[in-house]
Amino acid sequence: MAALTVQGIRKRFGKVPALRGVDLQVADGEFCVLLGPSGCGKSTLLSIVAGLTAPDEGSILFDGRPVDHLSPRERDVAMVFQSYALYPHMTVAENMGFGLRMRRVPKSEIRRSVLDAARLLGIENLLDRKPRDLSGGQRQRVAMGRAIVRRPNLFLLDEPLSNLDARLRAGVRLELKRIHQQLRGTVVYVTHDQVEALTLGEQVVVMGEGRIHQADAPERIYSRPRSTFVARFIGSPEMNLYRGQIVHEKGKNRFEGPGFAVDIGRTQIPAGEAELGIRPEDIRMGGPEFSLTARVQLVSHLGAEKIVNAQIGNAPITFCVSKESRLQADDRVYLVMPPEGLHFFRNGLRVD
Amino acid sequence: MRRKRLEKTVLIAAKAAGLAFFLTLVLFPFYWMILTSFKPLEEIMLQPANLGLELARIDFEAYREVLFDHGFAGYIFNSAYVALTTVVLSLGLAVAGAYAVARLQFKGRNPMSVGILAIYMFPAIVLVVPLYVIFSRLGLRDSLHVLILVYLAQTLPVALYMLRGYFRSLPVELEHAGLTDGCTRWGVIWRIVIPLSAPALATAALYTFMIAWNEFLFAFMFLDTPEKFTLARGVVQLSSSVHLSKQLVMAASVLVTVPILVLFLFFERHLVRGLTAGAMKG
Repeated sequence: MAALTVQGIRKRFGKVPALRGVDLQVADGEFCVLLGPSGCGKSTLLSIVAGLTAPDEGSILFDGRPVDHLSPRERDVAMVFQSYALYPHMTVAENMGFGLRMRRVPKSEIRRSVLDAARLLGIENLLDRKPRDLSGGQRQRVAMGRAIVRRPNLFLLDEPLSNLDARLRAGVRLELKRIHQQLRGTVVYVTHDQVEALTLGEQVVVMGEGRIHQADAPERIYSRPRSTFVARFIGSPEMNLYRGQIVHEKGKNRFEGPGFAVDIGRTQIPAGEAELGIRPEDIRMGGPEFSLTARVQLVSHLGAEKIVNAQIGNAPITFCVSKESRLQADDRVYLVMPPEGLHFFRNGLRVD
Repeated sequence: MRRKRLEKTVLIAAKAAGLAFFLTLVLFPFYWMILTSFKPLEEIMLQPANLGLELARIDFEAYREVLFDHGFAGYIFNSAYVALTTVVLSLGLAVAGAYAVARLQFKGRNPMSVGILAIYMFPAIVLVVPLYVIFSRLGLRDSLHVLILVYLAQTLPVALYMLRGYFRSLPVELEHAGLTDGCTRWGVIWRIVIPLSAPALATAALYTFMIAWNEFLFAFMFLDTPEKFTLARGVVQLSSSVHLSKQLVMAASVLVTVPILVLFLFFERHLVRGLTAGAMKG
């Protein structure tokens, strides 16, 4: 296993920039998730790390040694593709052993490694089948198996779960985590699913428009987003964001938003224009002693909780209430925004 | 209800009539050819319109004569040599070339890609005279290898075109998987692209073989020595010789046709598509 360093990677496709200077550190044995909307360059980055795509600028290092001049074969990485890309003319066992066969590993050893990996994934009984005789979930396992068998420098996974149905996905996610804990391999995992990213990643890298917006532990990505892009992208429902002014007056600090004002408690942030963010799950309801009033527009049931869309001042607001709540459209409610749940941004970047 | 039934009957009858008509149109010459090749000369002369064949009176004399007295055993060998060499060379070059044009990035890729078919647009008759002059001056004309070269030039563009299209339709992830699994480019082509392209390869091989096997114009122009004749050239030689015997020409024609038929039937099962089933999410 190896540590991965990405230095100043740039790549354009024709005139379209896909990556605009990406730097990244992944420690040996770390599970790193690249998270971002489609088209943000995360798959391109993965392909560059694998050596399948050549970057225009920048360098890739394994354990501090540049590998830019090395072919994918020499880099010794294993990749799991979104489409699985199983060799259709080979059986499951042949698919899984192919990488070892290409590296001239003795046959008996290949057989043993394939069997070990198959056991780990629970697919021993499928070894003689061809990919066309497998279900989607089984194919996904075989694709994983093909990577695991090799014990490579790096595991690169490109949205490996996106073709599975939701129920299967949750199961495989847990399994992935278990396998990683067992093998302790360095993993770079690409996804656009924030649940996947937050549950799997030890380091989560949020990407957008060819840049890294934040690379951090999942808790920090959620609790201290470094930009409004990250703040919006992580969390469901989306964080509420309001443009307004921070005002300091007679020892009191408040944020004046569009048609409402919030007490923001003690703060170091200088007065002036700012963006206030608060997550729907951090908003609470209170009594009439609180001055923030909102008019409910829509209540959606999510099972464990309810999501409320309402109007506060001149702006929309989304917040969560317990499933027992009897709120209805047109109700008037008093809201509390606790200062510890508030995020402040200036020019799109976090300021507190 | 009755009208529907009537409609159905008429449709079936029309279908059957149509099939019968076209089958007769296509198969009758073959039938005539085979029939004639099995009859002795006197019988053809006496009863030229007799379409029946008595099994007991099947006569292989014409084949024996054609093969051994008129040198067709050698012509078969020549044709097979020319056709098979053309197939092997053409496929080898076409796989490499088509892969390069389909997958690799290099300067001049697009002009090359377009150029492939443009070459094919030249009619053979335009090329035959200059080539005749060139090869005559070089003293290379009367040779099977020059013929192979010419057939290669004729079949390669189409083979390239067919394979390029097929290679492009293969999922590129499969090749990426092969590369990360430790294959070289050649390894990817040999172990992944070629096995998955069997239908396209079979089609291209069959096409190339048929062109090289049946080609007449260049063989007629280039070959002078009877020992070097190909089958097509041999048949013409035979039919234009003085002692014209129909059964001999027919037997020779059968010898030209049968290998193609056998080959076609053999390759036909490889021409099925869908070899990549199961590679992708599905």
